[in-house]
Amino acid sequence: MSKTIHLELDRAEGSLQRIIGLIERRGFHIDGMTMDGEGAHRTLAVHVRPYDSSRQIDVLSRQIDKLYGVRRNVPDEGAVSCVMQ
Amino acid sequence: MSSIGPAHIPKADDSPRSGARLLIDALERMGADTVFGYPGGAIMPVYDALTGSSMRHILVRHEQSAAFAADAWARVTGKPGVCIATSGPGATNLITGIANAAMDSVPMVAITGQVATSYMGTDAFQEVDIIGMTLPIVKHSWLVRDIGDVSAVVEEAFHVAASGRPGPVLIDLPKDIAAGTTTHTRAPSFDNRISGEDDTNALEHAEMMIAKAKKPLLYVGGGVSIANAVPELRAFARRTGIPSVATLKGLGAIPTDDPAFLGMLGMHGTKAANHAVQECDLLICVGARFDDRATGKLSTFAPHARVIHFDIDPAEIGKLRAADVSITADLKRALPALHPVGMNTAGWISHTRKMKDEFAFTYDAPGEGIYAPKLLKDLSEVAGDSFIAACDVGQHQMWVAQHCRFMHPSAHLTSGGLGAMGYGLPAGMAAKLAKPNANVVAITGDGSIMMNIQELATLKRYGIALKILLLDNSSLGLVRQWQELFYDRNYSETNLSDNPDFVQVAQAFGLEAFRITRRDETEGAIQRLLAAEGPCLAHVVIDPRENVWPLVPPGKSNHEMMEE
Repeated sequence: MSKTIHLELDRAEGSLQRIIGLIERRGFHIDGMTMDGEGAHRTLAVHVRPYDSSRQIDVLSRQIDKLYGVRRNVPDEGAVSCVMQ
Repeated sequence: MSSIGPAHIPKADDSPRSGARLLIDALERMGADTVFGYPGGAIMPVYDALTGSSMRHILVRHEQSAAFAADAWARVTGKPGVCIATSGPGATNLITGIANAAMDSVPMVAITGQVATSYMGTDAFQEVDIIGMTLPIVKHSWLVRDIGDVSAVVEEAFHVAASGRPGPVLIDLPKDIAAGTTTHTRAPSFDNRISGEDDTNALEHAEMMIAKAKKPLLYVGGGVSIANAVPELRAFARRTGIPSVATLKGLGAIPTDDPAFLGMLGMHGTKAANHAVQECDLLICVGARFDDRATGKLSTFAPHARVIHFDIDPAEIGKLRAADVSITADLKRALPALHPVGMNTAGWISHTRKMKDEFAFTYDAPGEGIYAPKLLKDLSEVAGDSFIAACDVGQHQMWVAQHCRFMHPSAHLTSGGLGAMGYGLPAGMAAKLAKPNANVVAITGDGSIMMNIQELATLKRYGIALKILLLDNSSLGLVRQWQELFYDRNYSETNLSDNPDFVQVAQAFGLEAFRITRRDETEGAIQRLLAAEGPCLAHVVIDPRENVWPLVPPGKSNHEMMEE
């Protein structure tokens, strides 16, 4: 079961590597991703699935929030950050 | 950095400056009075500009030492440490030190030279993708592609390194950017990540849980010192009487001789600390992260406890142990807000103190050989409140944690998360430079010291009066201990009985050095070492069969300790 994380990336050195590396390093498969956008920012949707039940998507989300040059898009005020596929 | 834009702001002084000059000026502006580094091809413009600087540059003899020294400088001073290396091997040699700072949340600014932008991506001489190589171990990194960005990047780098949960950052500076000149620089842009408001509901909930708990316990981590919240933690512990245990990095936040301090928890923790954790009904985790060396088997760690977790880093909350109440906040603000009333914990406090007395370490080991735990305990007591231990990694590191007296966490420099042998000597060197009047002792082993022994030359070059206590058991002791206990005494590649003569080695570098082999020599050795005017090495020969006790075997619960 994948979940999708929506992100906005600065067009800065290593920003794509940074986010993909973090997701895999923290114990999640990347099942797919789409990227779009021009100019200073790009949008990225990453479909992720934990390697095992000990890996929690909310912890991953908070780890992503620590990255500079990457912002997690939360669709609505108060909504969960990751939408189920 | 979301708000960094491409706009360039003209400076008032519009005389052209080189990227290297802008870098040095910015470092000075950020208060970097001492930096550690090693020159080389791609970083030459920076070293050229350095000669006109007020900064003190310490030439180490291996870039790894520059990173370790910058790390220790930050731990002792509270300001980001700075290390500089050239591209390629210079940059890769920094990596272990950067990882060390990342694991222990130490603010560090690492600056690497890079080949010129036109050569990047062509496998040029001494070209490595240091940005790519260090992505998992930095808070953030910058490859500077515009000379006008240099000043701003340095200021942003210091801000990122020191803010929130600190950590290392890296600036990769191509040679053409360092050598080129500009009259335009952009202003820095800061991305503040710290939440401004504490959650008063959570604090009230925590207060209620503490008030109701019958067996509360403070689990103190390195975050307390990083947050500069040692006085606030001590005040909280005093007004509540709650006993405490500490992680390796939390040692000294509560003075180790405080009656309510039960010792370090975890794999080589004290029996009292580990039993208290297993018995407590409320674990108040303050700036710690449930590291596996502290928790042992996680599923049976503090099995009866509800958990209150304080941390500035929201990503630590619930990462390994779910918290009943989590408070993501600056400890310096959050701890003074806690005033639980109506606590009824006298029985628990009395019980933990009885455990502490009953399970206290003893120092009456038989024989005439030098008993390292006693020597270390005596050293820390004689060295007094200005004692700073710069530890290497291995058995001696655990003995220091178990037996030394620490009055503040910054007095205990140790490679906690990474466990990097070779840390002690460069760390001690930096600590002595930062605190010339302190009794700084690098406590090392015969395995560890060989990892950065070249820094004896740096001690001599700058006359750094670091004292080195080398505990020599002619082996990689901690690995040998595990081979004895868990690998059927198959002592694979841990025998170092062909070590060089360390006294002669130290003397060859120009240091005072002496050797002791008997217990009755230890008192005199401590006096001589601490009294030496310059750098001095005491070579202490100990029994290779000595082990670190107690020990929680891998995969076991903390109460299943092995003892001698």
